Amino acid sequence: MTNMIPGLWMIITSIFLPLIPQYLRQPVMLLSVAASASSLLNGFGVFVEWEILGNTLILYQADNLTLPFALIFHLASVLIIIYAWHNKNLMENMATLAYAGAAIGALHAGDFFSLFIWMESTALTSAFIVFAGNTPSARSSAMRYLIIQVCSGVLLLIGASLMTLQTGNYLLTKLDLSNNFGIFIFLAFGIKAAFPLLNGWLQDSYPESSPTGTVALSAFTTKLAIYALARTFPGVDTLIWIGAIMTVFPVFFAVIENDLRRVLSFSLNNQLGFMVVGIGIGTELSLNGTVAHAFVHIIYKALLFMSMGAVLHRVGTTKASELGGLYKYMPFTTIFCIIGAMSISAFPLFSGFVAKSLIMSALGGQGLILIYFVLFFASAGVLEHSGIKIPYFAFFAHERKMKVQEAPFNMLLAMGIAAFLCIGIGIFPKFLYSILPYSVEYQPYTLDHIVSQLQLLVFAILAFLFLVKFRLYPSEIKSTVLNTDWFYRKMLLGIGKPFFQSLHFITQKIYFILNLLFEFFIGKSKKFANLSYFKVTTPSFAATVLITILFVMLILAVI
Amino acid sequence: MSKNNLKTFAKYFIKIIILISILLVGIDFTFHRHAYFALEEIYGFPAFFGFVSFIFIVLVGKWLRKILMRKEDYYD
Repeated sequence: MTNMIPGLWMIITSIFLPLIPQYLRQPVMLLSVAASASSLLNGFGVFVEWEILGNTLILYQADNLTLPFALIFHLASVLIIIYAWHNKNLMENMATLAYAGAAIGALHAGDFFSLFIWMESTALTSAFIVFAGNTPSARSSAMRYLIIQVCSGVLLLIGASLMTLQTGNYLLTKLDLSNNFGIFIFLAFGIKAAFPLLNGWLQDSYPESSPTGTVALSAFTTKLAIYALARTFPGVDTLIWIGAIMTVFPVFFAVIENDLRRVLSFSLNNQLGFMVVGIGIGTELSLNGTVAHAFVHIIYKALLFMSMGAVLHRVGTTKASELGGLYKYMPFTTIFCIIGAMSISAFPLFSGFVAKSLIMSALGGQGLILIYFVLFFASAGVLEHSGIKIPYFAFFAHERKMKVQEAPFNMLLAMGIAAFLCIGIGIFPKFLYSILPYSVEYQPYTLDHIVSQLQLLVFAILAFLFLVKFRLYPSEIKSTVLNTDWFYRKMLLGIGKPFFQSLHFITQKIYFILNLLFEFFIGKSKKFANLSYFKVTTPSFAATVLITILFVMLILAVI
Repeated sequence: MSKNNLKTFAKYFIKIIILISILLVGIDFTFHRHAYFALEEIYGFPAFFGFVSFIFIVLVGKWLRKILMRKEDYYD
């Protein structure tokens, strides 16, 4: 068992889940996570290699960078299983367990090809989680999600193939953007890390999933991309700018978005920006900051999504325009949500503070004054959308007439554990710092730093009270806010529809002629083809075209 | 009765926040706050920066609504 690839136990268990009686499923899922987590004790090194076609793939390696990510991925899996203890949807349970397992497996891949296989597995399994949202919009969102994730996978494959061809090396090593393969791999990870303009899929699909599904989605795919970027592109300057833009621009969207789970998805995007900046700086302190931030972020973001999931579970919606006043009926959920909100806003004594400080210090130490204040500004933005907007509109805002029940016990338990960790890590950061990749002596709690951060946060709250008092704070309006997914949901459709319609017309004409010839030579009794097979106007056909283009790019690149 | 709850809570909350704000700016005069950049060391700078940033974000967001907001069933 010691040489079992981490995560594989979870995938195997997920396959056999249908054979296990309903009431035993969640305990068995927990057991499989425990079995997988035993690999954390193995220490560092290369454990499993696979000889195939004369090449050696590294399927299981562990080092100081994989350890913190593996630890938090296992922890997140446990939280998700407890949170979804009541969930009887077999497909969602299977997909969630396999998704978490694949993400953990991906962390331990030692070369680009096994990483590609694991990343594709996470894409496929997570698409089923979106699909399990089980509404028409969730189903079409799942298809879009899958297409985008597969495109990212194909880009990774192109990059990895080019790299092997040009350098003969396919192991996970430090890359930069001076080679064409570097750019392909960078883009592949960029899609998964939701870089600006490549981020549409995240806000499109996450809020469409079930209350439990979103929590699972929020933990893995994007943080896997952060891990991959930290491993392959540390110190690439471009990332500093990309990250800075990522911290700022989702903030404005979050202000006006009505669906609170979508607000949290914008907020997730903004948090990824902080991590990407840390990777871009590339010093030991900043990379520690990125890993620490990813670690605490998974916990408090899951906590926030769990609290909104509990609201969705009990009220049936997370639209700000239909919520408010839930503090009276869901007091525990309210408290847990506020703890998550204070953690993400980086209040001292909460986990966000001890992690974000590392990145800010790294920026200060490098003298990057502009980026420093951009992130300082973004911190006020985090407070706005996650610190204030989420708890305010869901639990306060105005009194509620309709009674609702408090969240079920298992949901409260999962939220309670997450909240405990948020505060625990905030008060005792030593534990978190001890598992970071590099040993750095760092003290987040200095008077200078605490006063500075508190001034920023408290005066931002004051600004909020001021805006509400003078009725300047935007009210909740039922609406759709355009995001970068507009480009492929509306614009491409606008261009593509006439194009595919004319293509459809031409193919029909060709088949008509072929049919005539067929009839002439062979006879009328047998039809050449059924015209309805060849519908080239459907979205799936468009997706096929897109992916084919990418594959052709691959072949051209290799030739 | 039930309406009073949220209102009294809000009243106390506002008072507490104003009190903390005064304390936080006051404490700046008692010691020299070190920071990475001289700009941040100015008295009350983070407070001013937080207040202005927050209002800027909300007002820009409100203005963005004119460009980005569509009906709820826009994509259906």
